Amino acid sequence: MTPPRITPSEIDVQLAEKRMLRNGVALYTLASEEFEVLRISFVFRAGSAVQTVPFSASAAANLLAEGSTRRSAQQIAEELDYYGSWYDVNIDRDYAYINFATLSKFFDQTLEVAEEILLRPAFPEEELRTYAAKRKQRLAIDRTKVDVQAREAFARALFGPKHPYGISSEERLYDSLSRAEVADFYRRYYTAERCFVVCSGRIGEHELQAVGALAESLPHGASETDISFPKPETVHEEFVAHSGAVQSSLRLGRLLFPRQHPDFVGMQVVATALGGYFGSRLMQNLRERNGYTYGVVAAMVNFERAGYFAVATQVGTDVAREALQEIYDEIERLRTEPMPDEELELVKNMMTGEMMRILDGPFGIADVTIENILCGCDNTVIGENIRRIRSMTPADVQALAQRYLAREDLVTVAAGAERPW
Amino acid sequence: MIPYNKITLDNGLVVVVNRDRASKLAAVNLLYKVGARNEDPSRTGFAHLFEHLMFRGTRRVPNFDLPVQMASGDNNAFTNNDYTDFYITLPKDNLETALWLESDRMEGLDITAEKLETEKRVVIEEFRQRYLNQPYGDQMMLLRDLAFRTHPYRWATIGRTPDHIAGATLSEVEAFYRAHYHPSNAVLSISADLDEERLLELAARWFGPLADRRHEPAAIPQEPVQTEARRLEVERDVPATTVSVAYHMCARTGSEFYTADLISDLLAGGDSGRLYTRLVKERQLLSSVNAYVSGDVDPGLFVFTGQLLPGTTPEAVEAAFRAEIEDLQTAAATPYEIEKVKNKFEANTLFGELNVMNKAMNLGFYEMLGDLELINREIDRYRAVAPDDIRSFCSRTLRPENSSTLIYRARK
Repeated sequence: MTPPRITPSEIDVQLAEKRMLRNGVALYTLASEEFEVLRISFVFRAGSAVQTVPFSASAAANLLAEGSTRRSAQQIAEELDYYGSWYDVNIDRDYAYINFATLSKFFDQTLEVAEEILLRPAFPEEELRTYAAKRKQRLAIDRTKVDVQAREAFARALFGPKHPYGISSEERLYDSLSRAEVADFYRRYYTAERCFVVCSGRIGEHELQAVGALAESLPHGASETDISFPKPETVHEEFVAHSGAVQSSLRLGRLLFPRQHPDFVGMQVVATALGGYFGSRLMQNLRERNGYTYGVVAAMVNFERAGYFAVATQVGTDVAREALQEIYDEIERLRTEPMPDEELELVKNMMTGEMMRILDGPFGIADVTIENILCGCDNTVIGENIRRIRSMTPADVQALAQRYLAREDLVTVAAGAERPW
Repeated sequence: MIPYNKITLDNGLVVVVNRDRASKLAAVNLLYKVGARNEDPSRTGFAHLFEHLMFRGTRRVPNFDLPVQMASGDNNAFTNNDYTDFYITLPKDNLETALWLESDRMEGLDITAEKLETEKRVVIEEFRQRYLNQPYGDQMMLLRDLAFRTHPYRWATIGRTPDHIAGATLSEVEAFYRAHYHPSNAVLSISADLDEERLLELAARWFGPLADRRHEPAAIPQEPVQTEARRLEVERDVPATTVSVAYHMCARTGSEFYTADLISDLLAGGDSGRLYTRLVKERQLLSSVNAYVSGDVDPGLFVFTGQLLPGTTPEAVEAAFRAEIEDLQTAAATPYEIEKVKNKFEANTLFGELNVMNKAMNLGFYEMLGDLELINREIDRYRAVAPDDIRSFCSRTLRPENSSTLIYRARK
């Protein structure tokens, strides 16, 4: 006895309402009255790829709340904590995301602190030194882990060690990072031209006006000529020796294209089938059949000006060679055998369900909206992508794998006790 | 505020349901009241290994994940010292797929010697990846082992050693299944945009026919009162030394739990917490610091932990922790500080109610604690904490004879 199963074929997502502010900042709203909370996200094109001084982009983002011209770091932290407001900062290679989430009843108080953080950060010297010491230590700890070593080596192998997407800097450079460099990064990149805002949750006219007024206070920047983006210089193998490691971290993949490319969604289907869910081919092979690993993933990764396909796993040192061969074989199988209809159906349903889960709750919808805006789309693209996924045939999957996943194009990186090739 | 409805089926299964009016998803949570504290000391890590085996198929459904994924669902599980939790989210129209699968594996699990061997290898890799091949991976294990002498909280959920996992046998697997996986030892909780009556009816349809295999659980040896300070120093290949100090405290349901949790928040709640402000920012002794309560079903731990900056000695950190404890006894929390913790709790509660999975999981957790109403009333408990409660907790609990100190030294 099995229950009926219904596959959702459509996902309709609320469209964000857009307002243009006088200084050119776009303000997007996703209002939902049934919640008693709201979130405001400020997104700046201020990721690490635009920095000329190592660690200055992440330091600027992370020190925004560590003291303003009118309040100390302690006062800012105290006020946010007092109202139970959540403040978080994320930074990737391209963007910095500054998020405030609050109970609706403490919106005004929270926005007042947001104003200090966004418009008047002071980057006090002693806060910078504390931050730099902590980060340096954390990075040193991270770099004792094979997965971090492999991740950094993989970026270097894909893009080249000097490329903005490939570079990793020595932790000692935290010592020489100066206050002037961090403040300069803020002044150049936290500007109206490089910002948009997304509000979600219980947003009424009062909240919109107030957020709009804050965003309109963002200064104009000098027109920044963005740093040059050299052509990636890919090397096909890299090994990081880590004596004594009981596991090896493996990463393989190749440079492809960003999300706007017509084959991006198709390659997401290919990556999902290979290693994007628990029942994926690599999970079945490496974990379920062979017990080589606790987990393995494959995915398409999107940057503003590049995109790549990647497989990542951590396996026992003694089986690294076998695991690597199994990964190559599974990729080859995608190229030589058409995918069974039932498996492809499963992958499509998984991807549909995954999108629904990401979209559950007002903040999830806001996250997806931000991602879409960054690709120049509105939320109708979600439905389009689902339709594109659902229309894929086994022949489409095979053709993409043949075109993009040839063995000679793959980059392979390992970190561990022994070179697995 | 989470509205809910609760029934107990004839076979003893407790069912708790919530109607969520915003989500297109259904969340199904099935909690079994078995965790690492129910393990045999010579078979630690078994409850967690068993959680993995629950995904290895039944007589009727040889592959558990396949139908979940076909129904656009996602499922996972976790084990801790007290309980094991299985959860599925999927489009609400497919809710019954989840109920079918969970009811099926409550009685029809089919584990062969071969499946057991593969799963043991996976879990041993997990042990290596998360605990052995990880800087500080064994720190909590050492601290538990120091603080507990008798109670099974002395080992972590993953187990004491990979050897215990490697030695697990098929007959142990069968006995464990019989003893712990049956309706009256479980809580089913669901959140979805469907009538509560309808949710209860569906739960009864799929789980009602299961027979209970009632089993008296073995008594768990309780920890005797600690009478003198304990200390352990180890040296590891890590970049920075850490100091952890653990004190025995009451259970999650104990009346003092809220006082303890509030104190941990005063000390370490956010960047404005006393420890971060004073020890990381002002005195620059530590690169990170935390204070937390373990919140276990049996009496648990109140833990201080800090990671040292170069130039700081462990003695200086121990003294700093003691000074903070003394400060709490002399300069008690102000109404302002209490209000702050209350606001934070309210915000965390509301942020936690934004999706169906959190709600279903919380309903299961509070029912497991034996006081489901607490889910909407806990805030009153925090509100009731008085300055005297804080002083009294500090003097009775946070005292040297009740402490276990672990110095986890970076090898030079």
